Amino acid sequence: MMSRDLSEEEGVGKVPLLFLSRLSLTDFRIYDQLELEPSPGLNLVAGPNAQGKTSLIEALALVSTGRLLRGSKDVQAIRHGCETASVEGILGQSLTRLTVELRRGTRKRALLNGMGLPRPSDLLGRLPSVSFSATDLEIVSGEPQDRRQFLDWEIAQLSPAYLRHLTVYKRALEQRNALLRQAQDTPVSASVFEPWESQLSDHGGALRETRTAWIDELSRDAAEAHARLGGGEELCLQYDIRDEGDVRSSRAIDIQRGSTSVGPHRDDLVIRVAGQEARYFASQGQQRTAVIALKLAVLAAAERHFKQSPVLLLDDVFSDLDRSRRSQLMELTLGRGGQVFLTCTEADQVGFELIESSTIFQVESGRVSRR
Amino acid sequence: MQFARPLSELIAQLERLPGIGPKSAQRLAFHVLRMPVDDVRRLAESLTRARESLRLCSTCQNVSEGETCEVCSDPRRDDSVICVVSEPRDIAAMERIHEYKGRYHVLHGLLSPMDGIGPEHLKVRELLERLRNDVAEVIVATNPTVEGDTTALYLARLIKPLGVKVTRLAHGMPVGGELDYADTATLLSALEYRREL
Ligand SMILES: Nc1ncnc2c1ncn2[C@@H]1O[C@H](COP(=O)(O)OP(=O)(O)OP(=O)(O)O)[C@@H](O)[C@H]1O
Ligand SMILES: [Mg+2]
Ligand SMILES: [Zn+2]
Repeated sequence: MMSRDLSEEEGVGKVPLLFLSRLSLTDFRIYDQLELEPSPGLNLVAGPNAQGKTSLIEALALVSTGRLLRGSKDVQAIRHGCETASVEGILGQSLTRLTVELRRGTRKRALLNGMGLPRPSDLLGRLPSVSFSATDLEIVSGEPQDRRQFLDWEIAQLSPAYLRHLTVYKRALEQRNALLRQAQDTPVSASVFEPWESQLSDHGGALRETRTAWIDELSRDAAEAHARLGGGEELCLQYDIRDEGDVRSSRAIDIQRGSTSVGPHRDDLVIRVAGQEARYFASQGQQRTAVIALKLAVLAAAERHFKQSPVLLLDDVFSDLDRSRRSQLMELTLGRGGQVFLTCTEADQVGFELIESSTIFQVESGRVSRR
Repeated sequence: MQFARPLSELIAQLERLPGIGPKSAQRLAFHVLRMPVDDVRRLAESLTRARESLRLCSTCQNVSEGETCEVCSDPRRDDSVICVVSEPRDIAAMERIHEYKGRYHVLHGLLSPMDGIGPEHLKVRELLERLRNDVAEVIVATNPTVEGDTTALYLARLIKPLGVKVTRLAHGMPVGGELDYADTATLLSALEYRREL
């Protein structure tokens, strides 16, 4: 209960601490059936390779955000040979029940206390979480699209309005692109383009504004975390608007290319480490450090926003990190209270004192036992 | 497995209907085979009669038995307001509340370039025609989807310069709905269209 005391010290003790008190999986990835009662503090998920640690983290991300980890498709998470999978979490204190059902051939479905929600994203904000997994390295090493996805997913957790702008923007973009291709064969009048473009410029403007403000908010925390983890190296974030132009004025060019050339769907988040663009120049360890620093900044922002600690999901966070970076990371993540799930191959990787205060789950080919 | 020709023909016809896949088509076809012949005849007749006697009202484009529909031929309705909907079934919904006293106009769809639907596929020209007479307000009651909103924008840009007021139906919380279970899009739109008490 160390976390409770900590939040009271910070003056947010009135808000009940959010944590997952129970997790049940059915035919999710390697698991046929699993019931787990995690602690509100640190949960260590330990076990050899390919036993089901990442799967467990992914299940937690799914009930919390309605989505799997970066790079996974819904159907892949259904256990081989099964038609459906389900993940259910129960929140501590409120006993709210969050459920996500995956089914081959249809869209996933989210439920709140057994009642269907209109969209899986309507789960967002009920059990806020910040996750780190191996595929998140793409945030630094990948394409602009991977970084936009990072911005969009993380901001959507904090702001339903942002998610709404994003949904409308993406749809209007598809529609305008269809219109552009149509205009290659037969002329389309300006009055038909205009309403779509007005949607794009309204909602696109809101997306850019929110992204810029959020990156500003993230910058300081990310730089600070990075300095501690990375032995003083400077991390710098910058929202890069590729083209400030108005979507209407690029219509002629866009008709030629058959797609929309300006707008937030082309922007990027530039990440620099020690002055160099990390995408091209950072080493494995530097990339990992930069992504972790970003995620820690997301965590700090979410903490301010929700006035409580989100659940922290850390998969395989230690590999590629040297001893000093590891211990800095442990201090940064565990000093703050809140529920944490952390995977590692051997529990003693986290250090002796932490083992004492944590709940250890040993994973072995889809079975989990409490140690 | 091969069905007798009339049966496989029936299945093929049913499959062409929207929302009916091969399995449901088969199920419906076998159901028809078990129905009394008189019932089948009545069904076939009402299909033909509906198709033959119904047409689009020459004024509002709603489905109608005669040249003009019931609403358009009712002299007590207010000519100065036109409520624009995307489908005929939306009129039925509005009429159920017995509050709206103006006229209607059915677009028969929404703008959607992805589905190849432009203004020329909708009853937009017919709407503009009607605005030549004394119309003070057009209420756009399309659904609050991206296509519904964009179609509303398109119409507003077309109609406003004619000096006609254009309003949009507010969309918000279902009455009696619980805040907790509402989708966030609905909540956001309810907030956007809030009014002073
Ligand atoms: N849909 C599925 N159905 C059945 N098994 C699956 C499915 N998806 C993944 N698996 C299997 O589950 C096993 C556990 O995967 P997971 O990624 O959870 O392991 P891990 O414990 O995180 O391993 P590592 O330490 O190597 O990261 C893998 O062998 C994988 O092949
Ligand atoms: Mg793993
Ligand atoms: Zn009529």
